[in-house]
Amino acid sequence: MAASAVAYKDRQFLAVIGDEDSVTGLLLAGIGHVTDPPAAQRNFLVVDAKTETSTIEKAFENFTQERKDIAVLLINQHIAERIRHSVDSFADAFPAVLEIPSKDHPYDPEKDSVLKRVRRLFGE
Amino acid sequence: MEGLFFNVSSGYVEGIVRGYRNSLLSGQNYNNLTQCETIDDVKLQLAPAYGDFLAALPPNPSTSALAGKMTDKLVAEFRYLMAQATGSTARFLEFLTYGYMIDNIALLITGTLHERDTRELLERCHPLGWFETLPVLCVATNIEELYNSVLIETPLAGYFKGSLSHQDLDELNIEIVRNTLYKNYLEDFHDFVTTHPDFRGTPTQEVMSEILQFEADRRAINITLNSFGTELSKQERRKLYPEFGKLYPEGSLMLSRADDIEAVTLAVSISADYKAFFDAVGLTQGGAGMGGMSGNSDGKSLEDLFYQKEMEMSKIVFTRQFTPAVVYAWMRLKEQEIRNVTWIAECIAQNQKERIGNFISVF
Amino acid sequence: MSGAVGREAVFPTRQSLGLMKSKLKGAETGHSLLKRKSEALTKRFREITRRIDEAKQKMGRVMQIAAFSLAEVSYAVGGDIGYQIQESAKQARFRVRAKQENVSGVLLPHFESYTEDSINDFGLTGLGKGGQQVQRCRETYARAVETLVELASLQTAFVILDEVIKVVNRRVNAIEHVIIPRTENTIKYINSELDELDREEFYRLKKVSGKKQRDVAAADAEMEAARERQAAEQQSALKLDEDPAAPDVLGEQEDTDVIF
Repeated sequence: MAASAVAYKDRQFLAVIGDEDSVTGLLLAGIGHVTDPPAAQRNFLVVDAKTETSTIEKAFENFTQERKDIAVLLINQHIAERIRHSVDSFADAFPAVLEIPSKDHPYDPEKDSVLKRVRRLFGE
Repeated sequence: MEGLFFNVSSGYVEGIVRGYRNSLLSGQNYNNLTQCETIDDVKLQLAPAYGDFLAALPPNPSTSALAGKMTDKLVAEFRYLMAQATGSTARFLEFLTYGYMIDNIALLITGTLHERDTRELLERCHPLGWFETLPVLCVATNIEELYNSVLIETPLAGYFKGSLSHQDLDELNIEIVRNTLYKNYLEDFHDFVTTHPDFRGTPTQEVMSEILQFEADRRAINITLNSFGTELSKQERRKLYPEFGKLYPEGSLMLSRADDIEAVTLAVSISADYKAFFDAVGLTQGGAGMGGMSGNSDGKSLEDLFYQKEMEMSKIVFTRQFTPAVVYAWMRLKEQEIRNVTWIAECIAQNQKERIGNFISVF
Repeated sequence: MSGAVGREAVFPTRQSLGLMKSKLKGAETGHSLLKRKSEALTKRFREITRRIDEAKQKMGRVMQIAAFSLAEVSYAVGGDIGYQIQESAKQARFRVRAKQENVSGVLLPHFESYTEDSINDFGLTGLGKGGQQVQRCRETYARAVETLVELASLQTAFVILDEVIKVVNRRVNAIEHVIIPRTENTIKYINSELDELDREEFYRLKKVSGKKQRDVAAADAEMEAARERQAAEQQSALKLDEDPAAPDVLGEQEDTDVIF
């Protein structure tokens, strides 16, 4: 439904869940934000081969549900793939969850949950 | 005369390094590499030079994994040299590792400042910059502790002393710490090769002094260029310039007062070499700004030209005999080679073939 | 009487018939309005979906270029700067602002990116070497993120519009397939009910008038009879005048035949 002003007026940050290179690049662009101590929270999560899926899930939950200052969540597609269920079942307008390609994983439109909906609507 | 006794203690090391030098990739190899379609092809092309080290990689590895394995080989070879070296040569090799140590320590200080678990940082440290007390750094939980009980135990203690106190570590940007350390390191290294009785008046002093002076100048120029538009004050900047090199002292003074690229150009015009670089990248036509770094005919940046020069100097070192400087040269060449291969692999992986030739090959 | 959609529980009166008729008219107006709204939204929606498709493809390219510029950085710096970057991130330089856009009464958010130029966490990164590449990489990535933000606006609009269109379509369908037929049914029911009443009334009236006629006829007959009797009485009275001891005409005894 049409979002009320409260739903997004505080949302001014981007968050990212990605591999090291993607995160580094996006941080260079200046999206990194660490909230004030003591409860310092970072708005990015670096995922490597050793990162547990539950950690990713938790970060995803945190960025999408708990934090109210995030407008857009960027997530590497291959990482979204690991928590596909959560990503697919997240249908809220805020924050916008955006699947981005990573260096080693070129973009595959077939897997994007939003694009899947787009395609379905066009009956392709 | 110096050659008379050199081989008694260091001849073996030098011989080994000359052997290593022959396994460096040649222009022909690079040509083959640029023709590759996939990372697997690259791996195959590298097999003669890197053999076993790449065998453990999975099919189509990431470029960083590839670079990691290549670095492993460099590390293994260097460690072997370290083990064989004695006396002043061993000391010389130790100096080579200090550069990496500075990076490692900077990394750990960053981690400590942000109260991260420093243990996981150890994996990220460069293996060449490893020293026995490095893991001890992880024990420290705050900067003061780190400084008082840990850093003074490291080989780098001398570089901290006198220029950085523990308060500085808190306040200063880690980049400034790193560059201060590096400056002290370069000065110390330069001092070592010019005054140590084993090296004074030998080819080592000659070539190393030249290379280190170049390195010092390069850092001074880079720091100046990169500090435009940042909060780094001129006084602070000046403290980061190594106090030797072709530009020292007049050039350094001019650099420290420089406000824009033109002033830098003026400062470096003391040396014909650097002036040529600046001309080549078109920085002399003022107003080019930072963007001008890339906008030139053959896609070379100032950085590239410096690397190119460094490689050429390193290549020339091999014409000398009876000197551990070849180890330094070999390491620089090897590092450049790793960068080159990473670059090529990156270009292939990301399908950006048009700039694949942007590497530096001197053989 | 009741169809598949049933009818409303109303008393079949003329008043409720009027109510129903105005309700039907309202529903039809609403239906056409909603239909138009839904069409407008769908048009917008299709446009957005097309743009998302394009933007996603574009993002693939932009991110590739950005990733490549990062490769340049690692080439120039000759090492890994990732960790250092992660640790020195403090304040977001790149932020977004949300605005609203009104499409047929639906408020669509629109993200707008802006940079806080006063915040510069990585000014000194690559001071020793690679600083220029780092700088360029930052610009490249900032541009890439702008594309991403644009895409995010589109996507949010997509999600919201999708939802709204669903709701509107549901309403349109509800009006078209439930409300209108039901109202029509109700009207039909009231009409038939009223007709029935009419018929009953008519029948009753007919009955009443029949009875009345009968009554009238009976009364007429009586009147006739009375009149006849009167005439007869008058005649007998005349006779009585002649014969005072005239027998009671209403009496039991047989009238002696009057012989004229």
